[in-house]
Amino acid sequence: MASVPSSYNPREIDNTGDIPGRRAPLITGNQTYSSVTEMVCRVAEDPQPSIWWILFGMSSLTAVMFLSLIGFLIYKGVGIWGNMSPVFWAWPIVNFVFWVGIGHAGTLISAILFLFRQNWRTSINRAAEAMTIFAVICAAIYPGIHVGRAWLAFWLLPYPSLNLWMWPQFRSPLLWDVFAVGTYASTSLVFWYMGMIPDLATYRDRAKSPLKRFIYGLLCLGWTGSSRHWLVYEKAYTLLAALAAPLVLSVHTVVSFDFAVSQLPGWHTTIFPPYFVAGAIFSGFAMVVTLLVPMRKIYKLENLITLRHLDNMNKIILATGSLVGLAYGTEFFMAWYSQNQYESFTFINRAFGPYWWAYWIMVTCNVISPQLFWFKWFRTNLVAMWVVSIFVNIGMWFERFVITVTSLSRDFLPSSWGYYSPTLYDGLMFFGSFGVFLTLFLLFCRYLPTIAISEVKGVMSAQEHADHAQAAVLAELQGKDPHTTHGH
Amino acid sequence: MSHNDHNSKATKEPRPPKACGWMAEFENEHDLLHAAEKVRDAGYTKTDAFTPFPVHGIDHALGIKPTILPFIVLCAGLTGLCTALLMQWWMNGVDYKYIISGKPFGITPASIPVSFELTILFSAFTSVLGMLALNGLPKFSNPVFTNPKFDRATDDRFFLYVDSTDKYYNRESVRELLSSVHPSSLDEVLEDASPSELPRGILLGSLLLVLAGLIPAAIVLNMRASFSDLPRWHVFFDMDFQPKKKPQQTTTIFKDGRSMRPQVPGTVSRGQLTNEDPFYLGYDPMKVSSVDGPRQIYVSATDTVLETLQPPAGGDGGTALNLPWLEKLPVEANEANIKLGKTKYETYCSACHGYAGFGDGLVAKRAASLAQDTWTTPTSLHADRVQKQPVGQIFHTISKGQGKMASYASSLTPQERWSIVLYVRALQRSRNAKIEDVPVEQRSGLTDAQAPKTDGQ
Repeated sequence: MASVPSSYNPREIDNTGDIPGRRAPLITGNQTYSSVTEMVCRVAEDPQPSIWWILFGMSSLTAVMFLSLIGFLIYKGVGIWGNMSPVFWAWPIVNFVFWVGIGHAGTLISAILFLFRQNWRTSINRAAEAMTIFAVICAAIYPGIHVGRAWLAFWLLPYPSLNLWMWPQFRSPLLWDVFAVGTYASTSLVFWYMGMIPDLATYRDRAKSPLKRFIYGLLCLGWTGSSRHWLVYEKAYTLLAALAAPLVLSVHTVVSFDFAVSQLPGWHTTIFPPYFVAGAIFSGFAMVVTLLVPMRKIYKLENLITLRHLDNMNKIILATGSLVGLAYGTEFFMAWYSQNQYESFTFINRAFGPYWWAYWIMVTCNVISPQLFWFKWFRTNLVAMWVVSIFVNIGMWFERFVITVTSLSRDFLPSSWGYYSPTLYDGLMFFGSFGVFLTLFLLFCRYLPTIAISEVKGVMSAQEHADHAQAAVLAELQGKDPHTTHGH
Repeated sequence: MSHNDHNSKATKEPRPPKACGWMAEFENEHDLLHAAEKVRDAGYTKTDAFTPFPVHGIDHALGIKPTILPFIVLCAGLTGLCTALLMQWWMNGVDYKYIISGKPFGITPASIPVSFELTILFSAFTSVLGMLALNGLPKFSNPVFTNPKFDRATDDRFFLYVDSTDKYYNRESVRELLSSVHPSSLDEVLEDASPSELPRGILLGSLLLVLAGLIPAAIVLNMRASFSDLPRWHVFFDMDFQPKKKPQQTTTIFKDGRSMRPQVPGTVSRGQLTNEDPFYLGYDPMKVSSVDGPRQIYVSATDTVLETLQPPAGGDGGTALNLPWLEKLPVEANEANIKLGKTKYETYCSACHGYAGFGDGLVAKRAASLAQDTWTTPTSLHADRVQKQPVGQIFHTISKGQGKMASYASSLTPQERWSIVLYVRALQRSRNAKIEDVPVEQRSGLTDAQAPKTDGQ
């Protein structure tokens, strides 16, 4: 017979790591609807902690540096980068794929976990969606400036060019990419915004100053919480989730086509779409953990973003990390099994060629480090999981570097081989994109609802019945009247 | 909104605000559901509940019908699919055909990604915009907002509302019904009495902003519609200005400061060979004269200059032209060249000069019979002055023409012209040969008629 302390209340202590079962509470601390509202709104209503100002100062300066460097790039030309024959794609594309990959977690959490009725998503989906939007913004910058004449970037759209009356070439994966990333960015944006409308109404109704009330009132479009509205709203949300789920899988598939549809050894493989999608989910969840671990601490959201949420995310990181590792192995197997000498050379060259260090950083960070999450201690220790998530972020950047640069630098003809080295501008402009990303995320925390308040409340309502049942069972185990254990 | 529409601008004095319905407040969703069922069972349909989250079962409790949004989204998705397919078919298959690896135009498997994305794009935006449209949002003025308690509808309170437009609505009976379900509060909702007009300052300010926003567009349109003599205004330089040096400019790259580089010694420029080599000219330009020599090199090929050097018309032709003619044939006097010269002579020259060179070709004979006074009789190649001409001068005559004779430089290569000169020399010799010129072993076979005359003609 299990010994349960008499003071045990399933909604008071964060035992979410111990009981990952169905009946474990999604949020802790004996919350009521108003306390949830209070906890989330406090993030934006209270003066920001000093750490916010420090981070905001640093990240906004970095963002300004990034924007200035973009200005300099447009003035001077892409020659300031290290891109040179035969590696013309280099860092701009590496950074693009890196950020787009990160931008997968938000919509995945919102859409796919929603369709699978994974209620634990409600505490993390808003921040993850915001992160998605900001990551896609960072991603979209790179192809825009990589085209050289950034002021003509609108030629990517189906627009008959001014002098030739020529349309884009619809059989090119690069154009598919424009449509895929464009659709993904705009759909994620409306998904995120629509999800925020009820919470913006909460912000409006709590706002003290008339200006805030006016702005939040405009943003929430006059939301009242009418049940007739909720009904259409929920239907629209379900539809959006059903639409966004295949979309999120298609985006990195199309990004992988940029590589797979070419004929370069190491790129021209059918494994790329699933391999890229797994990698994107992997890196996206890692970035969510990287952001949420400090955020829940700074804003004291531990009761809403519980250890169970983090545990679940770490399990997904473990699963997708193992998938990515399997993909690396499969690539080598196919290189050997195909008996294609170029393919074989490419993969031996990746692991033991001039970029061997990048390859082994990638393997260490992406394949080995997430294996630590087989151990529960790593999955529930905040510092450990944060460090692993940083490793995964590093590893996923190196994965894109390895794919892009090793294949380009040594293709079929040894006479056209070369060694790519980045310049200082490459490094600063990658670093700078983190400034943009973090600045936007900090502003999001400052002004917008960081947690989907109404969704958490909806889940609480459903959870209430489960709690009653659990308390009754526990009380019965101890031979007590259920009403003395629960509901002080 | 409809309740404050008739809040007319003319009446300034306040009047008691109109009641819109009853609003009951509950502390949890269970009480709300219970109350909603009671109101529904009483027959009211113009009802609504306001909750901080979607309450499970409220649609049934209030009798709300399912929404048609999914069908609208389906239509939008199909529209997106058709748009994508039509767009790709028309842009790449009809209007501007791209030939890519010989693959078919129009719809191919390569059209799938864009079609998929546009289907999703259209559907997703329709979901959101359709949701807003079906809900009548945005709607910023709403009578329910007049109740300060209503602020908690987005926090932790649950409201049930019966509107006064319901056909069974009776102020007192609704109040009694709602009181019977024990709400934590029950209030009458009053219409929003605040003015519905925008303050004049905001209106004016927005108007000014819109007008100011139109200025750049107006400037651009004006510039596109008008002409200007000024050079183009370069917002982006593209490749309009490239760092480069033009002739006659200075530079710091080279020691002599000239951007234009002098030729490397021994350079032969295009066309220079035919201007300097006697083989192409028939004379040696380096020997033209000590003063004019260098200049002559460059101008000798032009007809106009030669025109000035030529003697007055009616004189004895080119003999007066005092150029350093080649005296010796630059081609070898062998059988092949003789035969080449014969072929070319008979093709190009014999029509006027005759096969034997006496100036009695068919054209000359026909012209003589027509007795045209514009006709100049072709020169006999056996004339004394022609015989005395150096080979270079004959070559020059063929190349440049003489009197009525046209230039044959475009029809005959220098090699062929020299071969003709060789053949002409052979003709001249054959018509003026002495018996001594014939090899001894062949002399015996010659008849009188064939025997060359001993004295020249």
